[in-house]
Amino acid sequence: MKANGAKDGKNIGRVTQIIGSTFDAEFPETSLPEIYHALTIDQQVKGQHVKVTGEVQQHLGGGRVRCVALGSTDGMVRGMGVLDTGASLTVPVGKGTLGRVFNLLGDPVDDRGPVVTEERWPIHRQPPKMEDLSAKTEVFETGIKVIDLLTPFVRGGKAGLFGGAGLGKTVILTELIARIASAHGGYSVFAGVGERTREGNDLWLEMQETKIGKTDRSVIEQTCMVFGQMNEPPGARLRVALSALTMAEWFRDATGSDTLLFIDNIFRFSQAGSEVSALLGRMPSAVGYQPTLGTELGELQERITSTTRGAITSVQAVYVPADDPTDPAPATAFSHLDAFIYLERKIAEKGIYPAIDPLASSSRVLDPQYVGARHYAVARQVQKTLQRYRELQDIIAILGVDELSEDDKLVVHRARRIERFLSQPFLVAEAFTGKAGKITPLEDTIRSFEELCAGKWDHLTESAFMYVGAIDEAEEQAKRMAAS
Amino acid sequence: MAKARAIVKRLKAVKNIRKITRTMELIATARFKRAMDRASQAAAYTRKISEIVADLSRANLQISHPLLEDRPEPKASILLVLTSNRGLCGGYNGGVLRLVMARLRRTRETEESIDLEVSGKRGINFLKFQGRPAQRTYTHFEEKPSFAQVEELADRFIEAFCTRQIDRLEIAYTKFESASKQVAVLERLLPIGKLEAEKPKTGKGSQVAEDDRLVEYEFLPSAEEILQEIVPAAFKARLFKCFLDAAVSEQIFRRVAMKAATENADDMIGSLSQLYNRARQSQITSELSEIIGGAAALE
Repeated sequence: MKANGAKDGKNIGRVTQIIGSTFDAEFPETSLPEIYHALTIDQQVKGQHVKVTGEVQQHLGGGRVRCVALGSTDGMVRGMGVLDTGASLTVPVGKGTLGRVFNLLGDPVDDRGPVVTEERWPIHRQPPKMEDLSAKTEVFETGIKVIDLLTPFVRGGKAGLFGGAGLGKTVILTELIARIASAHGGYSVFAGVGERTREGNDLWLEMQETKIGKTDRSVIEQTCMVFGQMNEPPGARLRVALSALTMAEWFRDATGSDTLLFIDNIFRFSQAGSEVSALLGRMPSAVGYQPTLGTELGELQERITSTTRGAITSVQAVYVPADDPTDPAPATAFSHLDAFIYLERKIAEKGIYPAIDPLASSSRVLDPQYVGARHYAVARQVQKTLQRYRELQDIIAILGVDELSEDDKLVVHRARRIERFLSQPFLVAEAFTGKAGKITPLEDTIRSFEELCAGKWDHLTESAFMYVGAIDEAEEQAKRMAAS
Repeated sequence: MAKARAIVKRLKAVKNIRKITRTMELIATARFKRAMDRASQAAAYTRKISEIVADLSRANLQISHPLLEDRPEPKASILLVLTSNRGLCGGYNGGVLRLVMARLRRTRETEESIDLEVSGKRGINFLKFQGRPAQRTYTHFEEKPSFAQVEELADRFIEAFCTRQIDRLEIAYTKFESASKQVAVLERLLPIGKLEAEKPKTGKGSQVAEDDRLVEYEFLPSAEEILQEIVPAAFKARLFKCFLDAAVSEQIFRRVAMKAATENADDMIGSLSQLYNRARQSQITSELSEIIGGAAALE
């Protein structure tokens, strides 16, 4: 192989330096690969087959380019030949991708043979033009009480699930897949970014079993999955979300259908960026993150939008390091979202799941203009009650509940019931809790909380409100508890 | 730093609360001493007077007095509720008011009408909130109720009972049994009922009563006249005792509640200080690592 030159019209360079998951390559000054072009290395070294794809990130001068490796750099040596593919990384798009599992390079990893599609799209694309953006705002019902009431999702919008380690982000995400995807006519794309491989596997198996609505087709037939999990090098985790997004964009642009995009976990994308940032020679910024944090995330998030042709509704899990929402990574992700769900450890500690913080969570559409005056009033009343309860908590901790005024005692009484009533049994947790999952229609949710705030159910014991659907079930549960 | 500053603010608030509760605890301890002395003095008098009444009843006389007359199926009653004017005394008012609410619920099925007379702002406000405002309210009974004040009330009750305006008088208050035990009770004061009920329960008292069994009393000027005097006096003494008991109990409850509150505040100050130190330290660490990281990246 002739290095440092073009052969059969191919642009071939040579590896000059390898640092962790980045490497430098030298090309003739006249034929430097462009930024974001994919480079491939495919060579035998000491009896070991090394196959790596890299992506150009920087031009260093002197004909050298710095790249992020999208696979493991194990076994790479200096002087290896590097082929410039002359384009950025592409992934297969089209209906052929449905029911399949891919890695970030667009290669299937489910052992079901090659994927047949007509097109491959580059993973780096421009966000839709402003005039193409859809201006519709429509509430998206999930059947989960706390979400529908306090943080209604937007059809064609973005929702984020923020939470620290072990608060159930992935559980809520899988629950939403089970609820939305099974009732949804369009296509779904799932991106596994830097999370546990086992969870991806569980999800894949579950999707094969879950049926869409009343048809006997399984959810997986309308879904395509892309994984770049924890075991992958940072370069892979940095690009896998883009690969998945590109596939989702095809469904939106080519078929014009409503597409669902689930990403678990968008924080890993920022984290991967920070892992390679210093290696690329960028100066670390706040809390050690890359200085380009906002740009990187913006480029990804701005592409996840609904256009006049089709919609992408996206749900993203966002890990919150050390339960600190002011950390730059979650704080940056926050501004891109329509609905914002924050999971709180204190609530999980009380055994209330989903552990959604009703005060920290919010939604752009929780506005009388979109959800109606009644829904808005009830949601605000619930928040007001819980807010007052939280303010009183220090007093209760020191002086005891007896010292409160009668009005405040009533607030505490109701807030404790509301707090418990925000829990709900999940479809995907049936095997663990032994309780059948409950889908509560929005109308029932509003009525239940309205009555609860009006004091109609003050007489029931607190535990009657745990893990039920509509308020009538709380009454039944109270009767059952009294009987036993 | 935003987090650390928020913690400092909370810490300050908790420290201020602790100062208040600690002071309240000390004040309650001092007041408890005084109230306790008064109560034990009155206790001696009440005991003696009930002994006399008990002896009297055993003198085999045909005693009758309007205050003793039992009226089954009462039509109108007065429920006197003794609560405190001030809060910060734990479950003191809560206990009494729970009894009152239970009593009021019981009357729903009967035709009995209950007039509430409430002493103490706490009870007044609670009952107003519950939609059962009191017919008469008193706020002048503090930690030292005087006999004159109570007598005024007692005279009115006797008057009302004798003229059949009411058939029954009940009182809800916190009974002082010992320095470590006080219970909220609901007692019937009028009609006085059987006089034996007045017999003191202490071992010594009953011993005396046994011994006196054979004593023949001679009444001068007459049994009737003595009865006229002694029955109202016994009622007044008992009512007064209730007020004193309530006053002592209030101070004990307050002392206990404030002690617990001070301890809770101490715990909270401890955990908040820890939280603050941790937040501060982690901020320093992250700033240091940013500077070092930045310097390293420049090399």
